[in-house]
Amino acid sequence: MTQIETFYDVMRRQGITRRSFMKYCSLTAAALGLGPSFVPKIAHAMETKPRTPVIWVHGLECTCCSESFIRSAHPLAKDVVLSMISLDYDDTLMAAAGHQAEAALEDTIQKYKGNYILAVEGNPPLDEDGMFCIVGGKPFVEQLRHAAKDAKAIISWGACASYGCVQAAKPNPTRATPVHKVITDKPIIKVPGCPPIAEVMTGVITYMLTFDRLPELDRQGRPAMFYGQRIHDKCYRRPHFDAGQFVEHWDDENARKGYCLYKMGCKGPTTYNACSTVRWNEGTSFPIQSGHGCIGCSEDGFWDQGSFYNRVTDLTQFGVEANADKVGLTAAGVVGGGIALHAAVSALKSAQRKTQDARSKEEV
Amino acid sequence: MSERQLLVGPFNRVEGDLEIQLDIRDGHVAAARANSPLFRGFEMMLQGKDPRDALTITPRICGICSVSQSAAAAFALADAGGVQMPPQGARAAAILHAVENLADHVTHFNLFFMPDFARPAYAGRAWHAAAVERFTAQQGSAVRRAAEARAQLFHIAGLLGGKWPHTLAIQPGGVTRAPDARDRIRILSVLRGHRRYLEEVLLGGAPEAFAALQDIPSLESWDSGDAGLFLRIAADLGLAQAGRGPGRYLSAGAYPLAEGRALAAGVWEDGALSPFDPAQIAEDLSHAWMLGETAHPEAGRTEPDEDMRETAYSWCKAPRLGGRTVEVGALARQIVDGHPLARALAAEGGVRARIAGRLLEIARTQILLEELARDLDPDARFMDPAPTLREGSGTGLLEAARGTLGHWIRVESGRIASYQIIAPTTWNFSPRDAAGTPGPVEAALVGAPVGAEEDTPLSVQHIVRSFDPCMVCTVH
Repeated sequence: MTQIETFYDVMRRQGITRRSFMKYCSLTAAALGLGPSFVPKIAHAMETKPRTPVIWVHGLECTCCSESFIRSAHPLAKDVVLSMISLDYDDTLMAAAGHQAEAALEDTIQKYKGNYILAVEGNPPLDEDGMFCIVGGKPFVEQLRHAAKDAKAIISWGACASYGCVQAAKPNPTRATPVHKVITDKPIIKVPGCPPIAEVMTGVITYMLTFDRLPELDRQGRPAMFYGQRIHDKCYRRPHFDAGQFVEHWDDENARKGYCLYKMGCKGPTTYNACSTVRWNEGTSFPIQSGHGCIGCSEDGFWDQGSFYNRVTDLTQFGVEANADKVGLTAAGVVGGGIALHAAVSALKSAQRKTQDARSKEEV
Repeated sequence: MSERQLLVGPFNRVEGDLEIQLDIRDGHVAAARANSPLFRGFEMMLQGKDPRDALTITPRICGICSVSQSAAAAFALADAGGVQMPPQGARAAAILHAVENLADHVTHFNLFFMPDFARPAYAGRAWHAAAVERFTAQQGSAVRRAAEARAQLFHIAGLLGGKWPHTLAIQPGGVTRAPDARDRIRILSVLRGHRRYLEEVLLGGAPEAFAALQDIPSLESWDSGDAGLFLRIAADLGLAQAGRGPGRYLSAGAYPLAEGRALAAGVWEDGALSPFDPAQIAEDLSHAWMLGETAHPEAGRTEPDEDMRETAYSWCKAPRLGGRTVEVGALARQIVDGHPLARALAAEGGVRARIAGRLLEIARTQILLEELARDLDPDARFMDPAPTLREGSGTGLLEAARGTLGHWIRVESGRIASYQIIAPTTWNFSPRDAAGTPGPVEAALVGAPVGAEEDTPLSVQHIVRSFDPCMVCTVH
């Protein structure tokens, strides 16, 4: 295999100073929830390890994941990560076009065989032999299978790749199918959300590049560090939920006061994601802060759970503190369907961790 | 006489997937067929759903113009329910939408269009070194500055909409977020930052100065900023003559406010403006893998032809206005709105005109946004209650970054009975109609020079990208 440069080499070549590099390492450590003692570890890893090549392919999708990614975070983090992963192949961003682009994809596969990460945005539609999404004259599903064969791991970006997302909504006209149902022999990290938060995307990639293994995943295959808590758990409007203070109509007095949006159909109580902590557009805000409920876009099947404006449960009597969690949990059971209760998830986590470690030794 | 066929695609640096089939005769494109190879079936999924869910589902047609889609759905629902946004709600929605349009234009120029001039094929041109330094994909200095400016600008979308992309804040009755006095100040300060970016980098001068350009000679003498670099390249490569459109321009008018649309609606042809009548729209299915008759979107349906018949070649329907093709986009909008420079560019109608039209719109949108934000009144109402919609039909027409976007909804017994969408790129990248008339981009490509050795012809890249195609919206 060709000698690959280190992350640090790439960064220096891109004109990033040593000082900025160290700053990035501490930011990353913080974003990943690691203590300051990890900063030199991250720095050391990046100075000595060859950078991991990334191939980024697009199936049936709306490009929102790329859109989220390219405007991510701290300008520094974005610069560093973009240069670090050097997106060896990406439809939306790369310079080459047409046949050159296909050749570039093939080159990258051959050059880094068994060693690259395949990032998938969107998903393959399987009806009509895959002809609803054609890349270079061939169904996307073929490109996906081909690129996946020699990947060391796959990242499913967003709700499309992870679960199917809205194009899989009934009647799922094209039989849009999530990646893990097509590729079954590779480790897959799901980074759902529509789109995922930019910082979550860069965080996941940085973790994998730095520690050379998959992050700890929850039962659904999502990185636990970002999908370990419900929106509701860290929502700044949570005290209003607990106190039984709710918005009843858009822009009513209660809305102006920032009361809880539960009655407006907010899916925060059943949604595991980092929106209420990391927030969006460089930490500016998140949907609940804009006065609109969460639609639960990081959960499987969020698009087919009845109206987005339906309440997660029909319970009308709650509001005292003792009941709040019960409401949340009941809601999780009723609407989430596939969502495991919190306790169950925690219990599974240790088992998961073991499998994960074993897997990372074997395959990554 | 030499003849060959060429399949150009997949196209990179466009939103979504696109393939173009070219017939080449004697070194020029003789005929072009645009194929939108991605179909998801949104119109089918919407049927039977709660009408309000269109507000969440339709934005997911497209990750780059999701606010446009959400606003069109909100306008269609408002129209069906006889609801009107309070003036300040309309203003906040307009700010959110204009921010997205402005950011899309900046992205298109820096990330999608200009990098083609950094290609090695242009080495030796006087401007090539500058183009490489500024616009090399993912690395050029302009690309980095633009990505940063854009992320900053989207703080406004964050403030008003919670998150971008796929913002949820625009509703039929207004916006869910009533900006307070502090938000207003923050919006104004973000806009000041963006103005600096335009002044120092993209335009290299005040937006007011660019918006004051009256004619083509004064445009050609604009030599500062990346805009100036583009104009020098355009002059050297003759981009004014490349890729002429149909010469008919449509705009549905942008940003409905209490006092009317901030940019006017209409149709411009042969130097004359006529009103836009949405009843004149019909979608032709003769060359699309779709079943059914030519129909107005109110009566239209979406049923993919599973046999993918030989006579068709795209998933895209072919919308026509009064039976004829029209071009939509920033240039069309500025022409219809009556800006003198845009009117002068209307006759030129090629690659340079489209890019210059977009730069003009960048300058004017910056100014508009500052006015809109200045007059935000935090004490006013931003949303009025909208009654539950049981029966009715409505139309939502607006201007997305890439041109006219329409949603047509029919609600029966509280459920969506029919939903049809015509996106900007559906207009521009439509296939042939029953009369055999090619779509705007197909026609614009005819005559483009193709070198004997070229298999991804540069002229074709420039022409296609000058339309700023958004293929995910096109077929949806």
